[in-house]
Amino acid sequence: MLEFSLHNAWLIPLLPLLAFALIGLAMHRWPSVSAMISILSIGISMLLSALVAVLVFSLSPGEIYEASVRWLSMPGLQVNMGMLVDPLAAVMLVVVTGVAFLVQVYSLGYMKGDPGIASYFGYQSLFAASMLGLVLANNFGQIFVFWELVGVCSYFLIGFWFGKYSARDAAIKAFVTNRVGDFGFLLGILFLQIVFGTLNFQELSAAIPGYTNAAVLLPIAVLLFFGPVGKSAQFPLHVWLPDAMEGPTPVSALIHAATMVAAGVYLVARAFFIFNAIPQAMTLIAIVGGLTALFAASIAIAQNDIKRILAYSTLSQLGYMMMALGVGAMTAGVFHLMTHAFFKSLLFLGAGSVIIGMHEEQDIWKMGNIAPKMPVTTWTFIIGALALAGIPPLSGFWSKDEILLGAYASGHTGLYILGVLVAFLTAFYMFRLVFVAFFGKNTAGRDKAHESPAVMTIPLLVLAVAAVLAGLVNSPLMHHVFGHFINAPGAIQPHPNTAIIVFSTLAALSGILLAWLIYQREVIKAEVIKEKFSMAYKVLYNKYYIDEIYGWLGVRLVDGAARVLFWFDIHVINGFVNLTAWFTGKSGETLRYTEDGQVQTYAIYMFAGVVIVLITALCGVFTALA
Amino acid sequence: MEISLLGTEILLATLGFLALVTGLLPGRAKSITGSMSLAGLLLILVYTIAHFGEEASLFQGIYLVDNFAAYFKMLFLTATLLVSLGAGRYLERFENKKSEFYSLMVFATLGMVIMASAGDFITLYVGLELMTVSFYILTAFLLRDGLSTEAGLKYLVLGAASSAILLFGISLVMAYTGTTVIGATAARLMTEPAVVAGIVLLAAGFAFKISVIPFHMWTPDIYQGAPTPVTNYLSVASKAAAFAAMVRVFMVAVDAAPGLTLSWNLILAILAALTIIVGNLIALVQEDIKRLLAYSSIAQAGYILAGLAAANAYGLKGVLFYALLYVFCNTGAFIIATAVEVDSGSTAIEAFRGLSKRSPALAAIMTICLLSLAGIPPLAGFVGKFYLFAGAIQQGYLWLALIGLIMSMVSVYYYLNVSRVMYIEKAGKQEPVKGSGAFRLALWVCALAAIFLGCYPAPLSNLAQQAIQLFL
Amino acid sequence: MIGLSHYLIFSTVLFGIGIFGMLSRRNAIAVLMSVELMLNAVNVNFVAINRFVTSGQAAGQLFSIFVIVVAAAEVSVGLALIISIYRHRKSVDLNNFDLLKW
Repeated sequence: MLEFSLHNAWLIPLLPLLAFALIGLAMHRWPSVSAMISILSIGISMLLSALVAVLVFSLSPGEIYEASVRWLSMPGLQVNMGMLVDPLAAVMLVVVTGVAFLVQVYSLGYMKGDPGIASYFGYQSLFAASMLGLVLANNFGQIFVFWELVGVCSYFLIGFWFGKYSARDAAIKAFVTNRVGDFGFLLGILFLQIVFGTLNFQELSAAIPGYTNAAVLLPIAVLLFFGPVGKSAQFPLHVWLPDAMEGPTPVSALIHAATMVAAGVYLVARAFFIFNAIPQAMTLIAIVGGLTALFAASIAIAQNDIKRILAYSTLSQLGYMMMALGVGAMTAGVFHLMTHAFFKSLLFLGAGSVIIGMHEEQDIWKMGNIAPKMPVTTWTFIIGALALAGIPPLSGFWSKDEILLGAYASGHTGLYILGVLVAFLTAFYMFRLVFVAFFGKNTAGRDKAHESPAVMTIPLLVLAVAAVLAGLVNSPLMHHVFGHFINAPGAIQPHPNTAIIVFSTLAALSGILLAWLIYQREVIKAEVIKEKFSMAYKVLYNKYYIDEIYGWLGVRLVDGAARVLFWFDIHVINGFVNLTAWFTGKSGETLRYTEDGQVQTYAIYMFAGVVIVLITALCGVFTALA
Repeated sequence: MEISLLGTEILLATLGFLALVTGLLPGRAKSITGSMSLAGLLLILVYTIAHFGEEASLFQGIYLVDNFAAYFKMLFLTATLLVSLGAGRYLERFENKKSEFYSLMVFATLGMVIMASAGDFITLYVGLELMTVSFYILTAFLLRDGLSTEAGLKYLVLGAASSAILLFGISLVMAYTGTTVIGATAARLMTEPAVVAGIVLLAAGFAFKISVIPFHMWTPDIYQGAPTPVTNYLSVASKAAAFAAMVRVFMVAVDAAPGLTLSWNLILAILAALTIIVGNLIALVQEDIKRLLAYSSIAQAGYILAGLAAANAYGLKGVLFYALLYVFCNTGAFIIATAVEVDSGSTAIEAFRGLSKRSPALAAIMTICLLSLAGIPPLAGFVGKFYLFAGAIQQGYLWLALIGLIMSMVSVYYYLNVSRVMYIEKAGKQEPVKGSGAFRLALWVCALAAIFLGCYPAPLSNLAQQAIQLFL
Repeated sequence: MIGLSHYLIFSTVLFGIGIFGMLSRRNAIAVLMSVELMLNAVNVNFVAINRFVTSGQAAGQLFSIFVIVVAAAEVSVGLALIISIYRHRKSVDLNNFDLLKW
């Protein structure tokens, strides 16, 4: 059974794909059947993934399973399709299928009564298939195809309620911003193919260490990094992710918190051997990640929309992961990816439960003291928040601690301090959210709040358990088993350091304490701070005006250029195109009337054709005839 | 001699006669003809697949059993099966002549099988005529329909003339070689005017069957007039059979002739370019779905001919690959056209209005099949064209590949025009288009094959590679 | 001495006459007869080849017999078709058969 699941791991993405095909082509008239097909397929994929993981983790570290088939071949180019199952992929398989399964179950409750349920589950299945395909890909070409597919699914799901202007705009924004990153990514892939003649990860990882021409490798690495910057919403391409919250909340949980946005981190981990060969590239990744972490965390403290706070938190945590990879702590980065997937999807699903319970209310100031009304949601949310804040012994503690340890041990003291600051801010904004929304003063909307149905709370409970326990796999309690398997040559594996553990925990606790003082006990008045630092608050509230800057640049530069190009397009290109089209259509029209229905005309054409070919051939055009 | 080597042929002949005889049964008993023919064809297809890989040369080389022939036999049988399955309710128009229909279909298939296996010109000619005469009758099968009989007569007059041209070519070649065995021809061919003339006439005879410009004039009329399932069969199978025979004659006799300096590749390449251009251009302005598909099939034949003109591993592999995917895609489109024609009584493209609302699956499959014909990735047509054009480029015909690419883009216009009508225009009727289970089965096979062969072409491409190995 | 080339020239002329008849006659039956003329030109070729090139073997004669048989089949189908069309349109003039065009 184990062997079977490993050798047939391709079934894992295929099942959701079949579900998508089935829903799209035949079942879309029956919403509940569609939902069941989708959940069933992802459930089976989840079981298969678990089997695969069990087997992979029972092999010795470094052992992998790779299988590929020739897809297309011609002289000088061989395109293969294949799958690569190693511990990294196995962990991702479990995380993606597990979270996707829970989110789909949760969606049964959340999307209840929506007219588009069938297509919602269709897209969910397509997304699961593409994401799993991305995880299993054994070469860059294949990963790019699935990379684009998850992007398309994200586009569909952000714009799922396409009746809303904001949802449509957000979907377009997400797609366009990602295109910027994907453009660089594709160029990087093309250069890899040109320089190394292969896109296979294993072959590349064998070839890269011996390749010393940094002048070639550095641009490739930077171009490749464009992809993760877009997909994982790193600064400066982060603008799409907060807006992506226009989609249904389960979608935000699955795609825009746990899995798809982590694809960028996964890619950097997958291609770690390329980046690690270039110190400058690693520094770039670490700095981009660190800046994103700090920048997004600071914005999060001034937001009022529950989903936006979580969105900026996601940005910040993705930055954290990137930073971990950039300083060389590959294990820590992937570890945090996994724990984050659990607690952040928990938080989003909890937020969704609150939104449903509060009848579509998303402003935390309009909630207040809903804890008694929604006990399960509240307590699971608090577990998620504690895990995110990094309070021991919850999962976030272990992974965050390892990142900080990695930053410190690799000598990036500046990034280490930044990381501690982010840990403090994270704890602060999360508990600001908790105290304001779940406790605090009663508000008008509170009375009609209600707990969500079991179909939504059970996934919350399951995820809460995962958020508590997932960190143990790389703790001293389990002898750092995670790190033994998920590692890369050249990645650092620092020894635990008690001082760092104490510092980061203190930072988190003081963040919680500060939030408690300001928003619960109101020892320090929030209004006072707001007024004192009104400039800073405004900047943070407006997200550093990045959107406005992009908007202005867009209007000035892009529109200006567009106007010139538009004129050119209308008067020159269009004219040419129309002329071609007119000519083409006209010649078709003319030639058509050679077919006059007279059989003898047809015979004339036929014999004339024979005679012409015969004469040219006999005159020696095609021969060496005298 | 091992009799099982001729199993496919013997079984087909038996099935053809059986179908004819069961048609004479009284009353309702004769209705078993259809299911018997389908079961028989399926059985023969399985038999042929099971015997893939056998190699033999029978009767001193006049009948060849090899992978190349076996590949095409599978293709013909698949096409016959799909067409018969997909004909659905159209068969009601044949009234009490259904058994003759099945019998003629089987005999036409037998003719094609003989063409693919023919090792000498006499056998080739007999196979060709068995196929063609069956098609004359099938084309004019609706005797009370003026269009059908007119198409039959036109096809017969032009077909007989083209046979005469082909035969004249064979006789000129034979006058110099003194043999009718194709394999023995190569060694004795030399650059003589009469031989060159013979080869040109031979090529013209085949070009008529695969409707290469300017020998294509019969195609649109016959395709439009013939009963739609017959048109379907004519477009996929008879074309493939002519290609099978043509590939064998040109690769074994002409290409391998040491004493002949004739750049036959260039002649075919120019004809292919002409066919691609004119076929696609006229297709742009068609209003009848059968005529549209006729011109589209002319253009498609041009693409395949480009692969034969390349005459290298890629080109020939492309010919075989494309011929099979063309069976699936074109049959899928024709099956839907048949269903719509039965439903609306019209073959105008207008009849497809609002099909996406009435029968979304049919509209989706039609779009898949047409886009595959246009060569849009990731559908099968893209991979097929990729092989064909790669072969042409390797042979130095970059211009041919460019023409092919540009005209493929032009073709997207008229293919998508059908989709536009299906998806954007409003339907007059609301109820779904009716279809039997067999009809749906055939459709799904076509659609899935178009997708599967596009996403994962390696198995079929390996099979095609094995089939063309004897020419390289 | 009359040799193969004389026969080939004769048959080519015959073939040309057939083509001319096929293109110029309007009556469908006459057109079919012209096609027969073309096929018979081919038969002359085959018989001549049998005499001059492959004497001793019967390949040429065999071929011409096959052609005659197949031509008979073709013509019988053709005549049946013409009769059927005549019943509907009361005409065997190929000029009138242009429902299918463009």
